[in-house]
Amino acid sequence: MSLMNRLPWRREREERTESREEPTSIDLFRDMNRMFDEFFTRGFGLSPLWSEEGWASFSPSIDVVETDDAIRVSAELPGLEEKDIELRLDNNMLTIRGEKKHEHEERDAHTYRTERTYGAFQRTVALPTEVKAEDAEAVYRNGVLTITLPKSGDVVSKKIKVKHG
Amino acid sequence: MAEQTNLQIQETEKQEVEQSAAEPTRTGYIFVPRTDIYETDEAIHVVCDMPGVRPDGADITLEQNMLSVSGHVEPTWPEGYSLNYAEYRIGDYERRFTLNTEVNEEAIEAKLNNGVLHITLPKMRPTRHKIAIQAAG
Repeated sequence: MSLMNRLPWRREREERTESREEPTSIDLFRDMNRMFDEFFTRGFGLSPLWSEEGWASFSPSIDVVETDDAIRVSAELPGLEEKDIELRLDNNMLTIRGEKKHEHEERDAHTYRTERTYGAFQRTVALPTEVKAEDAEAVYRNGVLTITLPKSGDVVSKKIKVKHG
Repeated sequence: MAEQTNLQIQETEKQEVEQSAAEPTRTGYIFVPRTDIYETDEAIHVVCDMPGVRPDGADITLEQNMLSVSGHVEPTWPEGYSLNYAEYRIGDYERRFTLNTEVNEEAIEAKLNNGVLHITLPKMRPTRHKIAIQAAG
């Protein structure tokens, strides 16, 4: 542990970030999603059937956020176009698939660095509640895909006000 | 196989800029944008993945031979949300590159489209001429 970590304000900051990941339901959710993804990208440790530069190369990161009346899924997909993205909703499982294309073909030139990844991808996320598929909306802006899925009527949560007794 | 696994992890996580020992003056994360650099006969191309940065949200400066790139991300959280599942963190991007080729500063072009910043740095025309040596005779 470095000296900086021992300083009280530093420690407080670290503890805060850790506590954000505390709830076990989130862990379960995350594990479940990892399982799906591992199955699709690696098939539980088996070598993938598809090519190396195919599905295994680009995998977007996904965030799932819940409000009182909707679920919002967002994914970082830099360098795509709307037409390259395909979305499906089956049994409360949202699948995002698409292809990130190589945009510069002048590769005969010197290449110094290739950190960005390309290729086809597929990710499946289990949604935490039932949603109205027909009212789902997806927007792709500045390299981020945002999908808003309104919760179906019977799961919309209502705030209960606590009265002073 | 082990190497491949490492690669997979690296791909899904954004790399944070290493903080110096000094106390940070800003809150929030700063990430290193994933970058491709390639050179053609005419120019050097720098391509950075900056998802979430608006077309006018990036800053590029060239000082001496130091190219600095930064991008600002405005988080757009819905009101009264709770986080269910998060894989990526939202923050700004920052990176510096040292160029070892003379570039034409006046003709530098940058485009930010769909979260990808593409900077074209045209090379200076070579001022030296090769002089052929004629065989004496």
